[in-house]
Amino acid sequence: MSFTLVRSAAGFALLAVLAAGCGTAAAAHSPAAKPTAPAHSATTQPTAPTNRHQSPSAPATVTAPPSAPAAPSVTAPAHTANPIPQGNGGDQDADNNGGPSDGDGNI
Amino acid sequence: MTVHALRYARYALVALAAAAVITVTILALARPGRPPTQSFPPLVPAAAPGSWPRVTLPGGTAVLSYPPSLRQIHGDTDAVSAARLGPGNVIQLYLNATPRQGTESLTHWAAFRLALLRSDDATSAREVAAAEGVKFRGGTGSCVIDAYVTRIGAHHYQEIACLVQGRTNASVIVAAAPAASWARAYPLLFQAVAAYLVR
Repeated sequence: MSFTLVRSAAGFALLAVLAAGCGTAAAAHSPAAKPTAPAHSATTQPTAPTNRHQSPSAPATVTAPPSAPAAPSVTAPAHTANPIPQGNGGDQDADNNGGPSDGDGNI
Repeated sequence: MTVHALRYARYALVALAAAAVITVTILALARPGRPPTQSFPPLVPAAAPGSWPRVTLPGGTAVLSYPPSLRQIHGDTDAVSAARLGPGNVIQLYLNATPRQGTESLTHWAAFRLALLRSDDATSAREVAAAEGVKFRGGTGSCVIDAYVTRIGAHHYQEIACLVQGRTNASVIVAAAPAASWARAYPLLFQAVAAYLVR
């Protein structure tokens, strides 16, 4: 084996391994660049109503809009002074009003 | 083979070894997967203090205990919720228990919960920590601690959400607080989760 061949082989091997490593790194990073939120998520829209429980009861809320009418007395809990904002969607639960998400399965 | 040839062969071997080390390092750093999360804190199931109110899920499949500073609020018909409300009716602490309703499972709970948040209530949600095989009073569960931002109001919340399997039924307990006050709220919320009883 001549010196040139050995040197060339070493150089090619080094370049090939480095190129393979960089290529793998780039490929591995590609999926991570995907947005975590769904592309169709409309951040400015209210929570989309789904076929979750259609609770007739009033939700706990984070804030009450000034124009929010009072909840029907038949459904509002007597022991809470929490006003119920209307204009909410879905099952009218707290998590449809900017409150914490409950534990339903979104069915 | 001459001395020069041996020397070049040695150089080639050194170069190959260096390239292998570099490649392994690159592959290790570039390995796809979830970003590292914190370890889930140990949950020791324990009954709530006697002063804590208790509310049973319709059907009797689980019992949620909540601190006296919270009060029961209305939510879904088959669920129970309690919250501590601050000025302006801002929710400071939130507890909810709901029977399992969808396709959530113990093995995919964290992913399910984050996907549900992103698709339903939140513009973003990220996992902080997760664990499976968590012992509960009367059962075993999978838990996730996550942080999310609501679609409405862009409120930042952090939560512990656990799917707990009892003898016959599974249910979900959620304990949440505004992210800004999470550090203060966390011990009490965690105590409520640890007191959750399933049947």
